[in-house]
Amino acid sequence: MYDFLQQIWPTLWPTLAAIGVILAFVPVLGLYMTFIERKLAAYVQDRLGPNRVGPFGLFQAIADAIKLFLKEQVIPDHVFKLLYFIAPTLSLMTAMFALVVMPFGPVPTDYTSGFRYIVAPGIDIGIMMMIAISSLSAYGIILGGWASNNKYSLYGAIRSCAQFISYEIPLGLSIIGIVVAAGSLNIEQIVAAQSGDFWNWNIFWQPLALIVFFTSALAETNRLPFDLPECEQELVGGFHTEYGGIKFVLFFLAEYTHVVTVSFLTALLFFGGWHFPGLSGPVDAGLGGMLLRTFVLVAKVSMVVAFIMLLRWALPRFRFDQLMGLAWKGLIPLGLVNLVCVAVVFTFDLPKHLLSFTAVFLFVASLISARNLQSTINMPRSAGRPKAGSILSEVTV
Amino acid sequence: MAKVIVNDVEVEADPKDNCILAARKAGVEIPHYCWHESLSVVASCRMCLVEVGEKKPDGTIAWGPKLVPGCQTPIKEGTVIRTDSAKVKTTQQMTLELLLLNHPLDCSICDQAGECYLQDYTYKYGKAQSRLDEPKLQRMDKYHIGEQIALFTDRCVMCTRCVRFTREISGTAELQVVARGSHEEIDVFPDVPCDNKLAGNVVDLCPVGALCSKDFLYKKRVWWLKHAESVCTGCSTGCSIHIDQNEDKVYRLRPRENPLAQGHFMCDEGRFGFKYIHDERRLTRPKLSDAVSGAANRKSHATTTAGSGDLSFADPWTDVLEVARRKIKDAVKSDARGFVAVLSPFMTVEEAYLLASFLKGLDKRVRLVLGPVPMVGSDDKYPKGPKGESPAEDKVRFTIRAEKCPNRLGVEAVLRHFEGQITGLEQMMAGANATSWFLVGGNSEGWVTESIDRAVGQPGLLIVQDIFPSPLSERADILLPSGSFAEREGTYVNHSGLAQAVQAAVRCPGDARADGRILLELAERKGLFNAMAIRKEVGNAIPSLVALTEGDLGEHGVKIGGVAREPIHS
Amino acid sequence: MSTETKKVKTVKWGEEPKLGWKEAMYLPAIASGLMTALKHAFSGKTTTRQYPDVEPVIPANYRGVHRLNRDEAGRVKCVACYMCQTACPANCIEIIAAPAPKDDPHWKDRDKFPETFTIDELRCIYCGMCEEACPVDAIELTSVYDLTGMSRQEMIFDKEKLLSVFDETVNSGRDPIRTNRGALGPASEEASTAKQGPPPPGRGRHG
Repeated sequence: MYDFLQQIWPTLWPTLAAIGVILAFVPVLGLYMTFIERKLAAYVQDRLGPNRVGPFGLFQAIADAIKLFLKEQVIPDHVFKLLYFIAPTLSLMTAMFALVVMPFGPVPTDYTSGFRYIVAPGIDIGIMMMIAISSLSAYGIILGGWASNNKYSLYGAIRSCAQFISYEIPLGLSIIGIVVAAGSLNIEQIVAAQSGDFWNWNIFWQPLALIVFFTSALAETNRLPFDLPECEQELVGGFHTEYGGIKFVLFFLAEYTHVVTVSFLTALLFFGGWHFPGLSGPVDAGLGGMLLRTFVLVAKVSMVVAFIMLLRWALPRFRFDQLMGLAWKGLIPLGLVNLVCVAVVFTFDLPKHLLSFTAVFLFVASLISARNLQSTINMPRSAGRPKAGSILSEVTV
Repeated sequence: MAKVIVNDVEVEADPKDNCILAARKAGVEIPHYCWHESLSVVASCRMCLVEVGEKKPDGTIAWGPKLVPGCQTPIKEGTVIRTDSAKVKTTQQMTLELLLLNHPLDCSICDQAGECYLQDYTYKYGKAQSRLDEPKLQRMDKYHIGEQIALFTDRCVMCTRCVRFTREISGTAELQVVARGSHEEIDVFPDVPCDNKLAGNVVDLCPVGALCSKDFLYKKRVWWLKHAESVCTGCSTGCSIHIDQNEDKVYRLRPRENPLAQGHFMCDEGRFGFKYIHDERRLTRPKLSDAVSGAANRKSHATTTAGSGDLSFADPWTDVLEVARRKIKDAVKSDARGFVAVLSPFMTVEEAYLLASFLKGLDKRVRLVLGPVPMVGSDDKYPKGPKGESPAEDKVRFTIRAEKCPNRLGVEAVLRHFEGQITGLEQMMAGANATSWFLVGGNSEGWVTESIDRAVGQPGLLIVQDIFPSPLSERADILLPSGSFAEREGTYVNHSGLAQAVQAAVRCPGDARADGRILLELAERKGLFNAMAIRKEVGNAIPSLVALTEGDLGEHGVKIGGVAREPIHS
Repeated sequence: MSTETKKVKTVKWGEEPKLGWKEAMYLPAIASGLMTALKHAFSGKTTTRQYPDVEPVIPANYRGVHRLNRDEAGRVKCVACYMCQTACPANCIEIIAAPAPKDDPHWKDRDKFPETFTIDELRCIYCGMCEEACPVDAIELTSVYDLTGMSRQEMIFDKEKLLSVFDETVNSGRDPIRTNRGALGPASEEASTAKQGPPPPGRGRHG
């Protein structure tokens, strides 16, 4: 037994350490992301944001956490108890599980020993596993909405179900282009393929894929402008209406974990991961180099997170029919076009920067949809409506 | 009748009318302070100055040279009255300005505010500002005018209505005008306060806030009060009154003008005698004795007799009426002749009819008797002579009657119809042989004397319906707390056979119910108690009360047949 | 009231603007939205008021907690005329009047006074009608805006409490006696100066 432990220890401890890092950082990250989001929201709205607890309100997140943990556990009488409890757990569990194949720093090329910034390195189906697992998070929401035994929660759950299924397709399509280019499903190899010059970053030759990917990913995280499963105005909170205290925290953490995952994926797949022009040489060249590369990755991720948070205050929420229309009429065709282009370029060995022109398809598609969207969007309401410019009434003043 | 033209409108007026009354017939108000229909004319306030002329046969109008007081000017055929000319209006403004010269304008603390003729006329006919620069004359308030009356001297406009009242109606002449000129004041002789039995009327007569009732002083602003038309139950004169109440509390009674009943006034006994309706001793909860409620009803009985700490919202009446109905039927079945119902002269005609028809409907042999009719002294007639002697019969202007109940005649009419004769409770008691009693009270004072108490004894069934506790209510098998006159609805027939409708002004205290509602439900009649519907039924059922068939008795009431009409005074 | 002087305003149905290719592409709209958000985020301006730390400036005609004014002799000015109770649209004032104690030399010149005077501060809608109705300027709304309490009972102010509000506020500088028989108080003066220029000369601060 001892011998066996001694034998696997060199590979066991980095795994345990990575798991520890994830388990320790995800909740704290979640808490502080709420704080940052509140601050950012406040600044965008010309307010001050939380500033009462600690310097600059920094301890607000901790106060919130304590409050949420100490809250009375209200269990409504009418819920399906088993699923009601399983749902938030499942939600957070799947969200965290997706992080297993997520590099959060420069993964060394030789990962047989030493700390390696990933729980499970060298998984050849990495990106696929991540997408598969994060799809499971729909279960948490659907179960939660159903177990709540409340029509608004159920509406939220059903919306979320439709939304997840619809947006997984463009998400997958956009990634396939990247995978084809890198020739591997392994995230470390996809990142390695983007090393060197700026122009090697996927964003510069697959911009269309980035747009499709990022839009779909936002929808997968239930963030604005795609937060229809939990919109307060229509569904009084949607699937988590009946949840409070620690159970609500789990849902909440899951959402923020998704944001982190999406941000990491965006940085890794499109922005060169931990690579930056000028930082050459092997990734495991000394502690300094590794820290620098970790910083590069975290900086990129932070930018994406900040962008997601800003989007929330820049865009209004979609109507549900528009949401579905965007996926099926917009993103899926664009994803397919992108995939075909990538295939053509690689089949005929054309210079890959030709792919930048796939963005032209976006432009053409918008021209077409500008003609069509108008009629489709207005169709249900336009019947029986007065003609523009017709006189409705005359008021004497 | 004489044709009179008031502001170009031609009306027919009684030649005995003055200009104010003739104008009133044309729908024109001539403002006045000192003139009152029941009092002599002095024409001192000068508020009713109008232009008067005469229409000649050739169509021209010969106007009088000056404005004349409308109260003092009789009319004749062809009299022309103008109240809307600039001359009249200017005069009214000037008169009001003079009347208000020394008026303190303390409307905010004046009890009359809201029903004050100074306020009303100033609003309609006066001017907004006074031109007086001098300080106003300030005079001491006089709280010594009478036991019930306070005089706020500086509000007085010297109309002398109160002085004339004590001289002409009460005949006691306590009030007078002292001093002269702008120092004129109303006052009494030292140690001779205005405490006659009609003294409260001077408060009503006072068109301004000078004479105030101490009883009502600062109790409520008059605009909060709601008025119900009712009849005073103090004596069989049956004065028409307003009951002024707010939030189920009666604040005052005011006489309501009724030429068929009493005229304009009422006596102080009636005016201040309503306090008992808010007495704390009032019966407020129906009760079943242990013997009656029985073991089967033990539980519901507990809820019906529990004290004020009982928070149950169950209606205690449901059980009580159920048991009462059953017990009455059993008692009548076992000994109908021994069942005696006592009808109080405080009951309305409708209530007496409901009880009588219910019991007679069970068995014809049930005996109905008239409850004790309270009599105090002899009729008190006004105006008194200088030595306090009663006036000659043809000079009587107000009578306080010895019979201190409102509806002896009405209840008697019902009894005569159902029983054929009228037996008083006292006559009955000797050879009663009663096994069951249904006693209805509702009197303003305790009526159960020792002899009644002894005569009733401990019968098989004792049902008491009353407003105050008595030895009988203490040991009653079934106690039905009922309503006072302010809570009842129905008809009272006064000494002269005038049937007047009574409106309910307030709700009964606690769980008590007005008699009509109790008896209606006891008789298992459908619907809610509606006095007018029952009144029509009474009129149809009882020939002597056929005048009630109409239902709506109007403001002044109607005379029922069979009673000699007495001359109405005042 | 002739109809010729009235204008006729026509209400027309408007059509929502058609989407161009720029809008259909979403991206330019997203960019402009982000620009707006960023502009605000870095503008450094804030509309937040640091309330408990920084007291707000209350306008002179602010209507806060009521007070019952005292007269020169320190008695309650109120004469219990019930005008405020009558005017009150929220039915939150309840007065019980009594004849003034005539034997007491302190009250010799008064006829009527409020035995109790209760205002339910929770029911009150702070409309100021009571102040408007009062013929003796006895009831006034102060600029005290931070009224709190731990129970409903505590928020029902009786006469003593209302008089104590007067004692606390009258010398605070913020709440001089606003109204004075016939003349307007400083609050109305401020409002009128704002619109119509300086007040007429020779008019005292307190009317």
